[in-house]
Amino acid sequence: MLDLLPQFLVNGIITGALLAIPTIGFTAIFAVLRFPNFAVASHATVGAFAGLVANVYWGLPAVPSLAFAFLIAGIVGLVSDEIALKPLRKHGALTTAIASIALTIVLENIIRFFFGNELRGYDLPLVRDTRFGDVRVNPQQLENLALAVVIMVLVFTALKYTRMGKAMRAVADNPGLADLKGIDAALVGRVVAFAGMGLVGIGGMLFGLGTSIDPLTGFRFILPIFAAAVVGGLGSIPGAVLGAMIVGVGEEMSALVLEPAYKSAVGFLAIVLVLTFRPSGLLGERAY
Amino acid sequence: MTDRITTLGPNRRSVLMGGAALLATPAILRAQGTAIKFGTLTPLTGVGGTYGPSMRDAAVSVFDAVNAAGGLLGGSIEYVSEDTQTNPEAAVRAVRKLIDVDGVSVVLGTWASSVTTAVAPLCWENDVMLFCVSGADSITRLPHMGYIARTQPNSVLQIQVAGDFMLRQGSTGMAWIGPQTPFAQSSIDILAGQAEGAGIGMESLIYEADKSTYRSEVDTILRSNPDFIMLGGYAADSTVVLRDIWQAGYEGKIMGPAYAVNPSVLDALPDEVTEGVFTWEGAPAIGSTAYANVQAALGVDVVDPYSAQTYDHASLAVLAAAAAGDAGGSAIKNALRSISQGDGTEVSDALAGLEVLASGGSVNYSGASGPCDFDEIGDITGTQFLFNQILGGAPSMFERV
Repeated sequence: MLDLLPQFLVNGIITGALLAIPTIGFTAIFAVLRFPNFAVASHATVGAFAGLVANVYWGLPAVPSLAFAFLIAGIVGLVSDEIALKPLRKHGALTTAIASIALTIVLENIIRFFFGNELRGYDLPLVRDTRFGDVRVNPQQLENLALAVVIMVLVFTALKYTRMGKAMRAVADNPGLADLKGIDAALVGRVVAFAGMGLVGIGGMLFGLGTSIDPLTGFRFILPIFAAAVVGGLGSIPGAVLGAMIVGVGEEMSALVLEPAYKSAVGFLAIVLVLTFRPSGLLGERAY
Repeated sequence: MTDRITTLGPNRRSVLMGGAALLATPAILRAQGTAIKFGTLTPLTGVGGTYGPSMRDAAVSVFDAVNAAGGLLGGSIEYVSEDTQTNPEAAVRAVRKLIDVDGVSVVLGTWASSVTTAVAPLCWENDVMLFCVSGADSITRLPHMGYIARTQPNSVLQIQVAGDFMLRQGSTGMAWIGPQTPFAQSSIDILAGQAEGAGIGMESLIYEADKSTYRSEVDTILRSNPDFIMLGGYAADSTVVLRDIWQAGYEGKIMGPAYAVNPSVLDALPDEVTEGVFTWEGAPAIGSTAYANVQAALGVDVVDPYSAQTYDHASLAVLAAAAAGDAGGSAIKNALRSISQGDGTEVSDALAGLEVLASGGSVNYSGASGPCDFDEIGDITGTQFLFNQILGGAPSMFERV
């Protein structure tokens, strides 16, 4: 079984990189709006279906389709946050988190209403894996990995060098102080709801590119996304990337010691271990 | 001068009249209450959501046809449709509502074995007849006292038939890969027994459902170099596994149940991925009146096996109630085998059966899914199997056994 270790490691890194994108969105929303938005599940699905419309119905290639997925998931994220979640935020994080679960069910069923339950695939040429020694990698996976890296670089650059990025970090670190400095927290909240859910939408489509999609697509990622965010430190964006890598690689490598039927246990185990020994996560709560 | 005090609240007369009206209401409802209540409990959402809506529509088409032709036992059939969400917990809530609130005497159409296993005790404890399309052999071994009938061949029979097929096709190394389900381990055990009998190797792997990639699982199963892989999952995970197996460069044979390698999977995957894959299913009675009725009701050319079966569930429930002269769950249970098998007039839809019964005859119903004969524990008998091979993205008949 150990002969498969390099292959599992590669599989894990690719899974982890894809997982990092929606996890960044999830943790950014937590950092600024201070509640776990479980509606990421349906927003990943929204992104996957928006990408499908662009790719299959309009015939656009993968990258513009991803941009469309970002846009639509972001708009849905912003609108649904304004209507359903923002009015509840003053009642506490738990209330808002529960409402976000309700929201995700509503959105999932809206997608089901329009697209049905059938599985759908993207219109992309499928190619066999390329072998490097004992390790096989699919060109589509490498492309997804490259896209994931580019998106992560863009996010980090935006956070570090743009005015809005700095404002987001300020509100995340100390909302009171940010307010004193004249930063419009409501505007920052809207930008985060848009960009965070946009990233989640991209994540949904990136996962769908390798498989197929249906209204439950996003629901399948909710546990790994949450686990990755908790492991890295809820609210920490570099932590989201680290957590996603740990969960992604951990799930794939677990096949060496665990029955594959218990793969998800890795996510739960990671949450339990981190909450026991380092409750604020590996990189703490600082947004950046 | 005397002030008259008027009250706007209820006075004695209005209260008495209202009370009398209230007391009278149930009697009025009872006078109209010859309605018979049947429930459909199909997976409208979740993994089985591909099938649930058409399963419900197929069953409902029978009730509508019977109502349009004058009803059943002097009344009309009322039906209530609930969603299992392909989830045992949601299904238990739904069946509780069907039984406790709606008062149905029949529940039909449960799909996933885990769902049927969860709702079955509630049905038999409440004298409600349960018709299901689930395959796990454990289901009919439950102490159900006759309240379960299934139109789907059980998993033991299905796997034996498929294993024989793999051996007939010359397999020298088999593999089974599928998610954790009530029939996963029994499928592996049966296949392993057949492989051992034939003196060939057999590898198996149970994975977790609802994952977006199974690359590592596929790598693991391919280590044993199988030349024939059987898929044990449902449509969503089978799509991922088929793609991952193809991308890994596997060149051997693959087979999967027709419900897993279904039209939506064939649509979602490029043709080269599914080329040559075998599927098998209980052969529907193509050419029968019942099959034509389901085609017309659903507006499709090819009826999926589950919609064919729920059409039969509804027809069997109607005919059993008519034969018993009582639409209660217990009466339907007791009368089921008197209309599903035996020497009666062969009929293929409920309306034809009702006519025969009304004229004092007896019927033997054979429906859209096949003969619909049941053994003493509620398993279907006499099913034929249809093997198809996917060629150019569409199933093409390979053999019928």
